[in-house]
Amino acid sequence: MDSASIYYLGVTLFLFIVFAAIVARTYRKAHRAKGEEPKFRMMDDDQPKKHDHPET
Amino acid sequence: MNQQDGYADDIVKGFVIWSMVWGLVAVLLGVFISFQIAFPQLNFPPYLTYGRLRPIHTNAGIFGWGIGSFMAFFIYITQRLTRTSLWSPALAKAQLWLFNVVIALAAVTLAMGMNRSKEYAELEWPVASLVVVLWVIFAVNIVMTIVKRREEQMYISLWYILATLVGVAVLYLVNNASIPVSLTKSYSAYAGANDANVQWWYGHNAVAMVLTTPPLAIFYYFLPKATGVPIYSHRMGVVAFWSLIFMYLWTGAHHLLWAPVPDWVQTLAMGFSVMLIAPSWAAVFNGYFSMNGQWHQMRENYLVKFLIFGITFYGMQTLQGPSQSIRTFSAFIHFTDWVPGHVHMGTLGWVSLVLFAAIYYTVPRLYHTEVYSIPMANMHFWLVLTGQLIFSITMWIAGVQQAAMLNATNPDGSLHYSFIETLAELYPYWYMRAAGGVIYLAGLLLFLYNIYKTITVGKAQAAVQPA
Repeated sequence: MDSASIYYLGVTLFLFIVFAAIVARTYRKAHRAKGEEPKFRMMDDDQPKKHDHPET
Repeated sequence: MNQQDGYADDIVKGFVIWSMVWGLVAVLLGVFISFQIAFPQLNFPPYLTYGRLRPIHTNAGIFGWGIGSFMAFFIYITQRLTRTSLWSPALAKAQLWLFNVVIALAAVTLAMGMNRSKEYAELEWPVASLVVVLWVIFAVNIVMTIVKRREEQMYISLWYILATLVGVAVLYLVNNASIPVSLTKSYSAYAGANDANVQWWYGHNAVAMVLTTPPLAIFYYFLPKATGVPIYSHRMGVVAFWSLIFMYLWTGAHHLLWAPVPDWVQTLAMGFSVMLIAPSWAAVFNGYFSMNGQWHQMRENYLVKFLIFGITFYGMQTLQGPSQSIRTFSAFIHFTDWVPGHVHMGTLGWVSLVLFAAIYYTVPRLYHTEVYSIPMANMHFWLVLTGQLIFSITMWIAGVQQAAMLNATNPDGSLHYSFIETLAELYPYWYMRAAGGVIYLAGLLLFLYNIYKTITVGKAQAAVQPA
């Protein structure tokens, strides 16, 4: 296997480790409530927040 | 800017209307070229031949209808999920003009035969350069809106939107790198197997970043809005997102199985393609689980029908795609009619059903009215579903038959059928494919009429309301 192939696979492995870290962070118990918050807040987003649009 | 809501929604109206125009062009051309296949005498050289109309069909469909709608809904969704107005409505207006100029230029140049001969990257360098300008304008506006957001945590749709913006930019710049020799002709910056590898890295990730991540962003936003119930799991959405992004990067070479690219690259592409089933089906399950206790809405809420059938086709597509990446199956169905069947299940089934739902949801809100006719919307659903199924199923059957005939050998190893014999057997399927296209077109016309009436009624109501 040449150096380009080793580099290619090395990047793959590095990205896999990053992905595993994201999964671990997302699914840790302490993050549970915060991780699910956006799905509730998006249900009521049809009006912008006050003072956000001085031109209106 | 829509003064009542504080969001820049006028530009969304513009993109929705123009994307529908290009969508109609795409389907009209699609139906016409399907008839050209069944009746070759309908080819009128040099401009109205299958070879020139087919890339216009794909560009109008993927970029005119698809990207046009995505631009509309990215602007619509981003403002709401960040609870802030668009960073620059003026830039978005310029984006709308440039978008239409680019799509029109694409149609004209492709009809004139100016073509880089790269799948989904056909546009010659002057038009391709305009696409880059267009994308930069779009990306800057959306990213700046997200930067000044009022919500700390980003909802999953925003992740998909950002991935689309970054992904398309990287793919497009790398694969469109070319050496111009005149205003209308250029040569790829790569050669041989490298060129093929870059092209299919682009080609497959265009499916990821244009036909998967944007509809998912839209699906994740509009399903909860349509049902009135939050999605099942936001965290599952986030993990599926990152998983999808990582895996898609390596799958392009599955288009080059049995080609002169390194064997381990092919195997890696095949492995990651099969692994892609997991994140794809995580999104499908997220959609299905969101319907827990809400399945009655499939009967009562026409929007849910579009969205759930859309995600179902996504699920079927993401089982079929990885299966096709396996060497033996790929060798069987490659270069057969199976492939257009697969592609159209994705574009007509997954992408378009989700976009129809999003347009039905947003247009009445943008014009402060109700949808003109729900029975008409239901009829639209059944027509496009029937048309799409006829198209895909006939092409799958045709593909298997074609593959079987092309692979059949005599005891001495010679081919059992000549190529022309395999073609002759396909005509009945091509007639059915054209009929499926006509049914889909009928559904689309009903949809356009319904939206047109919704808009005109909305405008009439606004005109009679006291200021």
